[in-house]
Amino acid sequence: MTETTTGRADRPSTRRHGSRQAEVTRLLPNGILVAVLVAICAFIAIPLIYVVLSSLNSDLGVARGELIPSSWSLQNFADIWTTIGLGKGIANSLIVAGSAGIVSAAVALATAYVFVRFRFFGRVTMMRGLLVVQSVPGTLMVLPVFVVFASAGSYLGITVIGTLWGLFLTYLTFTLPFSTWVMVTYLRGLPKELEEAARIDGASNLMILLKVVLPLSWPGVMVSAIFAFLLGWNDVIFASVMTNSDTQTAAIALQVFGSTQQNGTLPLYGQMMAASLVCAAPVIALFLIFQRYLVSGLTSGAVKG
Amino acid sequence: MMIPGGVLMIFVIVVPILLGLYMSVLSLDQYTLRQWLSAPFAGPANYIEAVTDSPLLKSFWISLSFAVLSTAAAVPLGIAAALATQNYFPGRAVVRSIFLIPYVMPSFVVATVWRTMFQPDGVIVNGLHSLGITSSLWLNGPNSYWTLVFVEIWASWPFIYLLALAGLQSVDHDVHEASALDGASWWPKLRYVIFPYLKGPVALACVIATLNHINNFALPFVLFGIPAPDDVQTLPILTYSTTFESFRFGLGAAMAFSSLILLAIPLIIYVRAVKLDVDEGADK
Repeated sequence: MTETTTGRADRPSTRRHGSRQAEVTRLLPNGILVAVLVAICAFIAIPLIYVVLSSLNSDLGVARGELIPSSWSLQNFADIWTTIGLGKGIANSLIVAGSAGIVSAAVALATAYVFVRFRFFGRVTMMRGLLVVQSVPGTLMVLPVFVVFASAGSYLGITVIGTLWGLFLTYLTFTLPFSTWVMVTYLRGLPKELEEAARIDGASNLMILLKVVLPLSWPGVMVSAIFAFLLGWNDVIFASVMTNSDTQTAAIALQVFGSTQQNGTLPLYGQMMAASLVCAAPVIALFLIFQRYLVSGLTSGAVKG
Repeated sequence: MMIPGGVLMIFVIVVPILLGLYMSVLSLDQYTLRQWLSAPFAGPANYIEAVTDSPLLKSFWISLSFAVLSTAAAVPLGIAAALATQNYFPGRAVVRSIFLIPYVMPSFVVATVWRTMFQPDGVIVNGLHSLGITSSLWLNGPNSYWTLVFVEIWASWPFIYLLALAGLQSVDHDVHEASALDGASWWPKLRYVIFPYLKGPVALACVIATLNHINNFALPFVLFGIPAPDDVQTLPILTYSTTFESFRFGLGAAMAFSSLILLAIPLIIYVRAVKLDVDEGADK
């Protein structure tokens, strides 16, 4: 949709005219610019600094409301694997969100290709439906899915609630429409000519998709897979009703741990902050690495839910 | 080629929504759950109970005001951030990455961190105390509402920033030159030259942001837990606790469908705004 990495107007074109060019496009006086930057960075940084410092603090220190640890230690990062069971949670999250990401991206490529290149009855309605479905609240989807899955035991004799593949199926309810929409916006920008040339050479639709479209749209496929993965990684509502203590995701492991600490005599807040950092780090790292490609996806829709 | 995607979407999206609609007219609870197909038909009773005998209407207003406030507060923040990072300066790329961190951080992490900070003996209460402000409860009672709004703003404002930045980049260099020739100082230039360019993208950002605020389940759920304080019982939280704590599945489904009324207005504006894009594709 929109490219927000580097603008044209804001980079001086030649060294000689650089300062004058920059002066023309300037939007804020220096004083205000610095004030805005400092204020916003401080606003963002407070909880980030807090979580890093607290993860290095003792549980007691965090519970007493210390910002600067009175004793520094990396012990929290060693303890969280046994007290919170974070390792299993992260493994489950990786399996479920990862497979949802891969399946969504693969299916989305084919569906989006049909939407972009073929004209058929109901096409525009279905595309609008894609947008609407992305805005349907999770509570609305989780309820019927839960009832059907819970009754699968008595009707079909299979257990679905508490299994990883059951959770994976529920993740498709929100990753599929999102990935498809990301791919639609991406494929729209691809030139048609190569596909037409391949068609004249006698290639079938499937051949064109695999040999022509796929190689050209790798960045789009990656973006839609990463976003679908992140949506799954961030999910709380589906995992909170579809999993048990064996299959819980990282998000649920942290949430359950957090809610049991509230009334404890010595809440393990230091470990909780270390675990928060561990859960956020891969997401932020993934984002910073692929930032150039992901920003356009962020502006075209939501990752929060 | 449409078949795998089409069939999957029908099974994982269309069928559940239709089933949900059907469940909302059933008398469905933990006793009838396992044999839900034979649960007694209740007609509109669930909807009537939701409106007349449940906190639904209160939750409706909480969700609405929470969403509107969060969006309104994020707009000046997002625009200021976009204006400040539009012109090149050393380290700008780093600042732009930092600006996006709150937005890409998972909601459950954001909520866990702020929940720890807002504890009665936590760092925020201590910090305010040293400034001479006495407070203790931020996660319970009437203050919890402001906690929720504040944390939501912290986590979501970069979305407005992203679209404002996109709007700024559509301003032509000629426009900057023209206003420089006219000798416009910075505020009139922003007010009369630059802001009109931002209106469209920021308005769209507001609509999408409002939708996301209304639907946000993870943040209040992890921040306050279940049962949530009355003042932060947003529509998703109310629906969730009715369904999975009180096991009133039929009533919960009716609540979920009733909450679509609140989503309808921003959703219609959103789908219409994107419609142009779709038709453009059709013309080519």
